[in-house]
Amino acid sequence: MRDRPFLEWDWVLDHLAEIRAATLEHLRLTVIAVVLGVVLAAALSAVALRWRRTLAPIAWVTGVIYTIPSLALFTFLVPIFGLGSTVAAEIALVGYTLLILIRNIVAGVDGVDPAVRDAADGMGYGRWHRLVAVELPLAVPAIIAGIRIAAVTTVGLVTVTGLIGLGGYGSFIDAGLKRQFPTQIVLGGGLSVIMATVIDVALVGLERLLTPWRRSPTQPLAEPEPLAGVLG
Amino acid sequence: MGRLRAIETRPSGATGGGLLGRPGLPAPTGADRGAPITAGDVAIRLDHVEKRFPGSGRAAVEDLSLDIPAGQLVALVGPSGCGKTTTLRMINRLIEPSGGRIEVDGVDVRSLAEHELRRGIGYVIQQAGLFPHRTIADNIATVPKLLRWDRARIRARVDELVELVGLDEELLGRYPAALSGGQQQRVGVARALAADPPVLLMDEPYSAVDPIVRAHLQDELLALQRRLHKTVVLVTHDIDEAIKLADQVAILDVGGVLEQYGPPAELLRAPASPFVESFLGRERALRRMALLTVADAHPQRGAVVDATAPVDEVRQVMQAHRTDWVGVLDGQRMRGWIDEASLAGARTAGAAGPRPFAAWVQPETALREALDTIVQSATRVAVVLRDGDLYEGMVTIDDIARAMER
Repeated sequence: MRDRPFLEWDWVLDHLAEIRAATLEHLRLTVIAVVLGVVLAAALSAVALRWRRTLAPIAWVTGVIYTIPSLALFTFLVPIFGLGSTVAAEIALVGYTLLILIRNIVAGVDGVDPAVRDAADGMGYGRWHRLVAVELPLAVPAIIAGIRIAAVTTVGLVTVTGLIGLGGYGSFIDAGLKRQFPTQIVLGGGLSVIMATVIDVALVGLERLLTPWRRSPTQPLAEPEPLAGVLG
Repeated sequence: MGRLRAIETRPSGATGGGLLGRPGLPAPTGADRGAPITAGDVAIRLDHVEKRFPGSGRAAVEDLSLDIPAGQLVALVGPSGCGKTTTLRMINRLIEPSGGRIEVDGVDVRSLAEHELRRGIGYVIQQAGLFPHRTIADNIATVPKLLRWDRARIRARVDELVELVGLDEELLGRYPAALSGGQQQRVGVARALAADPPVLLMDEPYSAVDPIVRAHLQDELLALQRRLHKTVVLVTHDIDEAIKLADQVAILDVGGVLEQYGPPAELLRAPASPFVESFLGRERALRRMALLTVADAHPQRGAVVDATAPVDEVRQVMQAHRTDWVGVLDGQRMRGWIDEASLAGARTAGAAGPRPFAAWVQPETALREALDTIVQSATRVAVVLRDGDLYEGMVTIDDIARAMER
């Protein structure tokens, strides 16, 4: 292995179809995990926000899940669902996203200015209407921050699913290790980093799209006041 | 006796609305001041209202009964812990009373669904509480949208409100963060008025803006109220704000104890308790003078002659009033003043070259300003003119003192 170059471009060019398939598979596993994670986290957050007492147990359970080593969890699920099972992979992947997503959704909603919430109540919003129309839009920055961390983490974790027989970049790393072939290892790791970065940037773009009100406000027309905190 | 000096006294109309007290509303007169409010006029009635927060030994509001007359601005004032904000929030049920009954327009607030009740009551809070993620236009349109007005109607109403509260139309497409505190507060008022509710609740609306902007916003509220005649309940800890803005002031002590309830001038004239007296602070007479107007001082006819009066008559009038000058009238119009020196060579008062009065006020000028004018005038008299030159009479320090006794 020591004798071989870090990255053999010939091999890469010969296996473009395989790389493309692995990329799609990696993306599929990531997107399913993040989307399901967001849906489940939203539901659990809604429960936690409505009945505050459930927040601590929900946070505790998702926290425990988060501490389980991924390799151990994947291999534990394989006997139940079989090798190469998407279900097994997704159960673990979704489980890992929950803690960060729920924390950020709850913190985002809790972080809404109490005056804004009071105004919404005073205007005659119902509880759920207020959540959907006022609190969630204002929590978008915190929620997207959570999704970014969850997505980037998931891209990394999906490489581990290669070890339980799923495609994606993990299968390159797995094969590279077995064959003592650095190119496959570098390719699997490198592409995984690139995918994480691209998804992260895309989510930043999404946040900007969803929060036009946060874009550098122009100076007030009259009665100028310091814009501290806005310009920073 | 000195001659009339030209002094720096501007007509009160040029100084802006702030010092004018409350023009447009009937000036309080001796007879109806503090009179009980008749039942038909009540917009909001608090009947033995009580609020205890769980886990707190003392009641936030013990037993408060208060009738808020329709179309008036009522200020709830008191130290912190007096339950003024709690009381306000019980009206739109942001806080549920523990006991008693609250009626808005004769309807028990508990008989309506919370959101229905609140959509029918305007609500303005400190720091405006605008929705940061919505444009100014969308913020103003909040309640009409909740009420499912159609788009054209909402648009028309937003345009109307922008004009009403004096906002720049250019701001409509912006987000609240781009606005100054004063502008945000104007948007807050426009949002509260959007569905044209008869009742407006304002919770310390101006405590977060600097004093200059606050004074502006207060003047704007007075001007707005003169046009709209809403029933406004305003919570403030600032007694001067209450005196400036309110038709009726309710002074509350800790536990929602109603210490006194009446027009500001009445409170200043006769505080009901040592608590009220200390809460009102110093210079009560001077502050009351800011509320009463020249008309309350009953201007007297004074030393005046008609422009056609012969010189002999002019001298007689001067003697009768023990002055060395007289005002010259052209029918109802005041042409100015003349003195002995101007009479030389003239046959009538009008021919003596009347010069305009420097010390003049309007019937709606606050007594405090009139007093200022009078003490700066060499003659110790202010001429009262309506619409520029229509003569209403003259006021002296004695007239003002008598008005204060009434």
